[in-house]
Amino acid sequence: MVPPVQVSPLIKLGRYSALFLGVAYGAKRYSYLKPRAEEERRMAAEEKKKQDERKRMERELAEAQDDSILK
Amino acid sequence: MAHFVRNLTEKAPALVNAAVTYSKPQLATFWHYATVELVPPTPAEIPTAIQSLKKIVKSAQTGSFKQLTVKEALLNGLVAIKVWMWFYVGEITGKRGIIGYNV
Repeated sequence: MVPPVQVSPLIKLGRYSALFLGVAYGAKRYSYLKPRAEEERRMAAEEKKKQDERKRMERELAEAQDDSILK
Repeated sequence: MAHFVRNLTEKAPALVNAAVTYSKPQLATFWHYATVELVPPTPAEIPTAIQSLKKIVKSAQTGSFKQLTVKEALLNGLVAIKVWMWFYVGEITGKRGIIGYNV
């Protein structure tokens, strides 16, 4: 078996600091994006509700104004 | 269904034992290398690391990095890329998802 290679301390320091920076960055960004996504979902649901309401009113209006004798 | 469950409970320990016996030598070799190559830097090594960093900065300032061969420069670039990839591994751990943020 090849003997394990001695890694230079600079590389070790760089690796582990990059790892911790990555964990911190990922966690921070997640907690930043989460409320925004929930807000977005809430706005989308409200918009959809308004759309449905509008369509319902339009449909009822169209039915009321329908000049057909075949009711 | 009952047969399947019974077979599973009878054969599962044997399968698990076989898997463990198979993977033990491989785990041993992995451990043998990991204890030397993947350990975090001890506090005593940090000054050495800072010295190496100063040397690199000085070589960038004096322009002596142009004396490196192309092969050495490529290897250094690859090592730098590997070190930076650990950042992305950390980010995956922090955001608890492999692709994208599951908000």
